[in-house]
Amino acid sequence: MYHLKLVKPMSAAVEGPTMVLVSRADLKLSKGKLAAQCAHAAVDCAMSAKRSAGRIYEKWKAGGARKIVVQCDTLDEMKRLYGEAQKANFVTTMIKDAGHTEIPTGTITVIGIGPAPRRSVDALTGDLKLVN
Amino acid sequence: MGIRSFIHRLTAPPIREYVPAGNYKLAIIVNTALKMKKGKIAAQAGHGAVSATLASNPALLDAWFSSGQAKVCLKGDDDKHLLELKKKAETANLPVVKILDAGRTQIPAGSLTVVAIGPALKEDLESITGDLKLL
Repeated sequence: MYHLKLVKPMSAAVEGPTMVLVSRADLKLSKGKLAAQCAHAAVDCAMSAKRSAGRIYEKWKAGGARKIVVQCDTLDEMKRLYGEAQKANFVTTMIKDAGHTEIPTGTITVIGIGPAPRRSVDALTGDLKLVN
Repeated sequence: MGIRSFIHRLTAPPIREYVPAGNYKLAIIVNTALKMKKGKIAAQAGHGAVSATLASNPALLDAWFSSGQAKVCLKGDDDKHLLELKKKAETANLPVVKILDAGRTQIPAGSLTVVAIGPALKEDLESITGDLKLL
């Protein structure tokens, strides 16, 4: 049993489930606001994954609960991504802001996709930029 | 375990802790000395929020969800400051989690990036994090 672990391909280490949080570049949120919105999405995704996709959720948690924050340019693009993620049967969530602070009520700020296998999320969100 | 206690365990409602009504909040305090980028901060805040939710009990979670899952992100100076806040929260009996980074990207492994306090009553949080600036 032990030596089976040793011959595991290297790629297995980087193939763990990933959660991708897609934010909107055109809203120009402040650091703290973006962080809070991403936190909302992460909690939402994790809770619904715990209910609906228990195995992948456990694997995700054991692998350090990997999260990536990326950005897309427009609302339309975000909606398209959301639709495609739902079609691909990923755990998804869409965060609408309550509008207490920086932006109007009901603005869609962040969508969360996953935890899902890294390769299959990458097919969807691989060409998006990281947030700098 | 006897059959009766086994059946009891299956069917009895879970014991719920009493939590006082009010506005609940989760405070996420970010280590600004590390100079992380925006996306990194957002991801770390996500880690903090998820592990705080997983660590707290169902009654508290319900109360927090029904007050709109409120979160605030605050600035902490450095490791020492964050640990000090953590200690304060622990002595005040509030739930706290700390997040250490795995160090795959921007910063060295094991650096303390985020401390999340709560979900807790707004008034209780105020006494600990009241003098911190918004991020």
